[in-house]
Amino acid sequence: MKPLLLLISLLILYPSAGFAEDSANGGDSALPDGEEVAAHINSRDEGQAVSRKLSIEMRDRRGKTRQRETMSYRKYYAEEKRTVIFYLAPKNIKDTAFLTYDYIAPEREDNQWLYLPALRKVKRISASDRGDYFLGTDMTYEDIKLETRVSTADFSFQTLGSCDADGKPGLQIDGTPRTADIARELGYSKTLSCVDSEIWMVRKSQFWDIKGKLLKTITISNIEQIQGIWTQQKIDVENHKTGHSTSLVFSAVDYQSAVPDDLFTTNAIKRGL
Amino acid sequence: MEIAVNKHSQAWRFFWASTTYPRISLCLSICLILIFARFLPTLVKDTRSDAFMPVDHPALLLSKKARETFGLGDPMAIAIINTGPEGVFNPHTLQLLDWLTSELESIDNLDPEGIRSLATENNIIGTTEGMEVEPFFETLPTTAADAAAIKAAAMAFPLYVGTLVAEDGSGTIIIAEQLDVDQAQATYQALMALASRADLNSDEHIHIAGEGALMGYFGTYIDADASRILPLSATVIIALCCVAFGTLRGALIPSFVVLATVSSAVGLMAALGVSFFIITNALPVVLIGIAVADSIHILTEYYEAAAQHPTDSPRELVATTMSRIWRPITLTSLTTTAGFFGLSIASMMPPMKYFGLFALFGVGIAWLYSMFIVPALLSLLKPQASRAYHKAIIDSTEPEPSSDQLTSDVKREQLDGFARIVCWLGKLTLGHPRSFLLLGVLTVTAGIHGGLKIEMDESLIQAFQQDEPIIIANEAVNKAFDGTYFLDVMVETPNSEDLFKPENLHKIEALQTHMEGHPFVKGSTSVVDYLKQMNRAMHADAPEAYRLPDSVELSAQYFLLYSVTADPTDFHDIIDYDYRVANIRISLEKENYKTIAPVIEYLNDYLHNTFNGPQISAQPTGRANINYEWMQRLSDGHLLGLSVTLALVFMMATLSFRSLTAGLFCLAPIATTIFGVYAYMGYAGVALSVSSSMFAAIAIGLGVDFSIHTVERLQVLITRADVVTDQTLMALFPSTGRALLFNFLTLASGFGILIFSKVVILQEFGICVSLAITMSFLASIILLPAMAKTFQPQFLGYPDNK
Repeated sequence: MKPLLLLISLLILYPSAGFAEDSANGGDSALPDGEEVAAHINSRDEGQAVSRKLSIEMRDRRGKTRQRETMSYRKYYAEEKRTVIFYLAPKNIKDTAFLTYDYIAPEREDNQWLYLPALRKVKRISASDRGDYFLGTDMTYEDIKLETRVSTADFSFQTLGSCDADGKPGLQIDGTPRTADIARELGYSKTLSCVDSEIWMVRKSQFWDIKGKLLKTITISNIEQIQGIWTQQKIDVENHKTGHSTSLVFSAVDYQSAVPDDLFTTNAIKRGL
Repeated sequence: MEIAVNKHSQAWRFFWASTTYPRISLCLSICLILIFARFLPTLVKDTRSDAFMPVDHPALLLSKKARETFGLGDPMAIAIINTGPEGVFNPHTLQLLDWLTSELESIDNLDPEGIRSLATENNIIGTTEGMEVEPFFETLPTTAADAAAIKAAAMAFPLYVGTLVAEDGSGTIIIAEQLDVDQAQATYQALMALASRADLNSDEHIHIAGEGALMGYFGTYIDADASRILPLSATVIIALCCVAFGTLRGALIPSFVVLATVSSAVGLMAALGVSFFIITNALPVVLIGIAVADSIHILTEYYEAAAQHPTDSPRELVATTMSRIWRPITLTSLTTTAGFFGLSIASMMPPMKYFGLFALFGVGIAWLYSMFIVPALLSLLKPQASRAYHKAIIDSTEPEPSSDQLTSDVKREQLDGFARIVCWLGKLTLGHPRSFLLLGVLTVTAGIHGGLKIEMDESLIQAFQQDEPIIIANEAVNKAFDGTYFLDVMVETPNSEDLFKPENLHKIEALQTHMEGHPFVKGSTSVVDYLKQMNRAMHADAPEAYRLPDSVELSAQYFLLYSVTADPTDFHDIIDYDYRVANIRISLEKENYKTIAPVIEYLNDYLHNTFNGPQISAQPTGRANINYEWMQRLSDGHLLGLSVTLALVFMMATLSFRSLTAGLFCLAPIATTIFGVYAYMGYAGVALSVSSSMFAAIAIGLGVDFSIHTVERLQVLITRADVVTDQTLMALFPSTGRALLFNFLTLASGFGILIFSKVVILQEFGICVSLAITMSFLASIILLPAMAKTFQPQFLGYPDNK
């Protein structure tokens, strides 16, 4: 009977030991499951339209940087999301502009145009693959398209436990591509994100490449409520494989001023701001 | 005339005293060997050619900068060749390419960002609406049509034809940069293992070549061969000692001195953290030679003394032996030390410098052991007659045709076959001294004439046998592609984005055109080629639009356009991140010095006269430039090192014999030897390379021993004689001459074994060293008595009036 007594006394002395392990295993029924967390993230208000200044700083593995200053506009339509980016600096690419229509329907190819002032021509660019890198940054087209959201069509999510979301309570969710094709297309075999469970925004995400090696880390900071909408003002992306990194800094974020529809046309990008 | 033993001479008393506690001396000597040997496992090998230059040499610093900026180093080139009618453009081979490319990322020392093949690169194509950048392998090809489409795309990209795909479609290549070139050996082996796992059709072959593979292969190859051949050569030398003396101690004593000398010198290298370089393989060779030579002379003297004084105690015998031999052994050690000191101070290349210093140390150890430990050992052993001498006694009962011409003391010594050979040589020499002097002069003349024909060359490729996989790979790759040996040119401008300026781009284009005009250059790539491709794509692929953009803005915007869908690090190997520094990669036909030197000189001329200015400048960098720089140093350093070494040997010999003429006498056989080897190299077309240039150090190190022993003995013989006749000089041959013949035979056979090495440069080294030893021996034993007879110099003891 002695071992039994010992076990009982241990359970009395350390009542929390067993529970803590449960929670770490992700089996805790008190935490919302992964799909639920994803749904919360995706139902967050992002504003119907937004205008903002975007500074892009890209660094190679030796620490040399390229700085781009842009003005960007984004607007949701019934079928698509339209984005336009006007380059303000540096001088050699000033007035270059990039326009894109991202269609909600997955089977429809996105449309993209680039205006090259040196040729005074708007060039249509064939649709990018979702895993392609966006304009020399470490973000892929899919990362840009999703903005602060997550794709439940591509990934199945599972809550692993709690995490520290920049000093706030967070939930750690793990994303697994639903098919091998999706994994190959996106270039990710797994994601791990820490979600701020108060405002349902991802604070930090890690991505593994299709060979299972840690590929990159995205850190989101300077989150503030602007005009009633929780807004990320800084995104840092570090590519662990190449040593290349990117910082995106948003400023003058405005969800309220009208964003005219004719801004999202090839004429507008040619005309400039 | 009995050679009197002066038991009251200082030398005799010194060696009598030094053998008082032989067991303690022996224990101390074993301890010393163990102490140095303890460091041997920490010895680090360094087979890099970078090692031939001081770490702060500008060429090395520039190459390091290029490596940091562009991630370029000594790449591995993995080629897939398909001998079938469709070449590599069929689904299976292209899938193999994709698989290999992807597997390479898992090899530790390969930079995942530095792997380039058709499976990683983007195609830049024109459409009616603009330019598209998309991977050649958008999806893995599964049909013949897919493969044909990839072929059409690749063949339409001028930059990749000859570099990533063979012009005839028979091959495709993966270029993989290494993170750390010091790990080339392990990386090469990992690649070979990967290639052996590949699923190949009968027409498909994988070849691993490139500068990185060559270096990786070389390290393993030369080490394996040297560690096989050197012990074999040591064994042969020891076995020959055994034959020469016919006694066990005759073999074991030289072995013990060899062990002490080699382990001390190499152990000290390890203890001081000095790497074992390629040329350090010659160090044990030299030290074995020197240690064996000292022992042979002591043992010869010992057996002579034993035959003359059969009743002496072991200790008396040793003191007698040493009192006679200490002087030539000390003199040879001093002059050899001076020679190696000269090599170490005159050479600018660290491996040569260290070679000189550690050889010098080894000579010191060999002297110490010969002076104190060998006597201690012999004093513990019962006096014993050499079986060779015993046999000679039996032989001497037969009539000896030349014995009547010998002096009485020589007659008493029993002549064996070895002695008869040298006596015959002696008779020949003393019979025709002037003819032999003329022969010496002719050798020097031939050396000067032949020497002028000697060309510098060095090539890792030429170090291997023709049937080695690396040679087969090298040939296959060079046949199908523009070559996997590169000369990099680093172009710099003062400010960020200056490389977008049309005038700078046009200068780079002109430089490439100029270089491609050189017969040894197979092609070149730079940012210019990509910009031209982009410009053509933006003009609906019109061939006439394959030219540079005409404004700074357009170039900048092309790069932005390219980046719309491409990887952020796509151009990292050709242009730096702020568009200030660019790299031009020139493909060379071969990697040897004779190829790279004219190309680099052609490039440098153009850079100085046409290209460089305040707005843009360029300089050669990379492996080819490093090799060029250090080979230049080898060429310059060889003659300087030789001159300084000879000067120091001359000085030491002059001081030792207190006579300038003596210095010249000692130098004569060495100089003849060196010129003789030059003549051989010049007429046989052997290039001056690292391996062959080392013969001079060996010729001096070992050759000076032959000279000093001969001169010293001649001095003793002539001084002792009342009237100097040919018979006086003949006494040199059966004693010292016989010892020198043993010495020569053991060394020449021992090093002659190197000729059977698998490494071609070791073969060359073996030939040059054997030749140098043979010439040194002959020059000493023939030229010196001939010179003595002809010139009758005072320092040898000839009377003043002559």
